[in-house]
Amino acid sequence: MTKRYVCRTTDVPVNGLREIEAEGGLKLLVANAAGEFFGYQAVCPHQDVPLCEGLYDGSVLTCHMHLWQWDIRTGAPIGIAEVPLEKYPLALEGDAIYLGDQTTALDVGELFNGISPDTLAKLAALARRETYEGGSVLYRPGDPADDIFVLDTGRVSFLVGRDDRTSPGGFMLRKGEVFGWAALLEGNPVRIASARCLEASALLRITGTDVLKALEQDPAAGYVVMRRLAGLIARYLASSGAK
Amino acid sequence: MRVQVNARNRGYQFDTQPGEKVLYAGLRAGIELPYECGTGTCGTCKARAVSGRLRDGWPQAPGRKFVKPELGEFLMCQCAAEDDLTLEVSKFVYAAEPGAYAPAACAGVLRGARMLTHDVMQFALELDQPREFDAGQFIVVAAPGLEGYRAYSMVNYERGARRLDFVVKRKPGGGFSDWLFGADRVGARLALFGPLGKATFYPGVDRNILCIAGGSGIAGMMSILSHAVEERHFERRQGWLFFGVRALSDAFYLQELSDLCARCPERLAITIALSDADVPGSAARDWPALAFARGLVHEVAKRAMTGKYRNVRAYVAGPPPAVDAALRVLLLEAKLTADNIRYDKFS
Repeated sequence: MTKRYVCRTTDVPVNGLREIEAEGGLKLLVANAAGEFFGYQAVCPHQDVPLCEGLYDGSVLTCHMHLWQWDIRTGAPIGIAEVPLEKYPLALEGDAIYLGDQTTALDVGELFNGISPDTLAKLAALARRETYEGGSVLYRPGDPADDIFVLDTGRVSFLVGRDDRTSPGGFMLRKGEVFGWAALLEGNPVRIASARCLEASALLRITGTDVLKALEQDPAAGYVVMRRLAGLIARYLASSGAK
Repeated sequence: MRVQVNARNRGYQFDTQPGEKVLYAGLRAGIELPYECGTGTCGTCKARAVSGRLRDGWPQAPGRKFVKPELGEFLMCQCAAEDDLTLEVSKFVYAAEPGAYAPAACAGVLRGARMLTHDVMQFALELDQPREFDAGQFIVVAAPGLEGYRAYSMVNYERGARRLDFVVKRKPGGGFSDWLFGADRVGARLALFGPLGKATFYPGVDRNILCIAGGSGIAGMMSILSHAVEERHFERRQGWLFFGVRALSDAFYLQELSDLCARCPERLAITIALSDADVPGSAARDWPALAFARGLVHEVAKRAMTGKYRNVRAYVAGPPPAVDAALRVLLLEAKLTADNIRYDKFS
C-alpha cells in the first residue's frame, strides 16, 4: 500500500487532538502524546460523536458524550468503554505524518489485539478471508464447530435453538469481533446457534485447533487470548451488574 | 401488540399498549433498554426498525439529530408501535436485576406549590400508589394537553413514597415550565413514568461523596444527601456538596442544607458558589453551617477539592455547560474513573 500524507507534526499541539482528512479522503483522529503521534478512527464507536471534541490529557482519551475512555497508545478500552478504538498506524518522515498500512480485522480483534507480533503473523497466515452474500448461512446448530470467525466488514446475526423453537442470539457488526468461538473449546464442540450474514460480509476464518496450536507455542499470548475469551463469554451470559 | 428487540447479545420480547412509547414499554417489562434523558434530547435510545409501523410523537425532538430516518432509525422514547414491531438495538442489553425498581406509568396530583426564589418553584406530586425509587433518580411527567414528557429529579428520598417533591426553574418557552408557572396548577392531575436514571446513591457505595450541582440540579443531590445522612454514610465517609447559583438571592434549600450539615459535623461540607455576585457579609452570619464562595461552581469545587479525590464517587447535575465543565474537572484534574462519575445526560 502506498503511504498517504496526513499532516505536519506542528498541526497537532502537544497533548492535543485533531481530526484530519488524510490524502485519499480517510478522516482520522491524530493524537499527540508528548511528541509521539497516534492515529485512530475519527468518531466514537459508541454513538458516532467526533472524538476530537473529547477530553484528552496526553495519555487517556475520553469521549465527552458518555465518558467512554481509551489508552491513547494502544486504543484499548478503559473503564466503561466496551470496545477498543480502531488504530491507524502512522509513520513519521521529518515533520510529516503519513498513514501506513491499515490494520487488519485480526489486529483490532477483541481476542487478539496486542499479542506478540510473531504469533499474530502466524494467525494471519492461518486465516482465510472469505466473502459472503447477504443471507448466506455460515453454520447451523449441530454442525461441528471447526473454525472461529473474525468479522472484517458486514453484519452477522445469530439464532439460538432449532426449527420453530429459536430465539435471536444477537449480532456482530464491528470489525474485529469474534464469533464461533466454540471452535476453541476442548472435545468435539458443535454449534449451538445458526449464524447468518444479514448483508454482504467479509470474514476471516481460522481453524480452531490451529489457533490453539499457535497459542501453545506462545503461552503469554495464549493466556491473554483465553482471558479475553472468558470475558467475552461472560458478556453474553451476565446481567449488567452495574447499578 | 408485541415488540421484538434484537440486541447485540440476545433478543427480548415484550408487550406494549397503544400509544405507549417503546422505551417505556421495554423498561416496564424489566428490560434495560439504553436511555439517558428519556425525553427526546440525548439520542441514547436510538434503535432501528426492522419491521412494523411506528408513530413518532415528537418529530422535532432535538435528539433526532442522532438518527438517520432513511435507515429506519428512531428514538425509542418518542415512538409508539402501531402494530407488532421488530427492532434492532446496536448495544448490549440485559434484563434488569431482580429487585431493581422497575419503572411504571402512574399518575399524581399536584400539591404544595411554592416559590423558592423569584424563578424557582417547588411542588409535590401526590401519587395514586406508593412508589419505590433510588436516591438521585428522576421521573418523566406530562402536563395536561402538552405533547411529550419532561424529566424532573426527586428532591426527597423515602421508601414507598406517596409524595414526590420537585423543583422547577422557570424557563420561558419551556412547555412544562410555561404551563406550571402560567396559572395556579394545584390539584391538576399529571401522568408520569418512572423512576428512571442511573446517577443513584445507595448505601453499598462505600465511597466519599462529591456532589456538584448547578441551579435546579440540586434536586437529585438533596435526595442523595438525605438518604446518605439517614443511612449514617458520613460516619464512615466524607461528603462535599457544591451548589452553584448566580447570586445569594437565587439560592434555596439553605435551611435544609444547614440541617443536613448539623447532623454530620466535620464530615459533610456544603459550599454555595455564587457565579455573578460577591458573597454578602450577611451570608456567613445567617447560615453559619454553610460555606460561601464567589465563582463558577466547577471552579469553586476544583479549588476546594485539590488533593481530596481519593476514593471519591462524584454526582453531577445542572445546566449542560455547568455539567460539561464539572466533568472536565473530574476527568482531567481529579482523574476519577468514568464509573465513579455519575450524571444523567439531558443534552
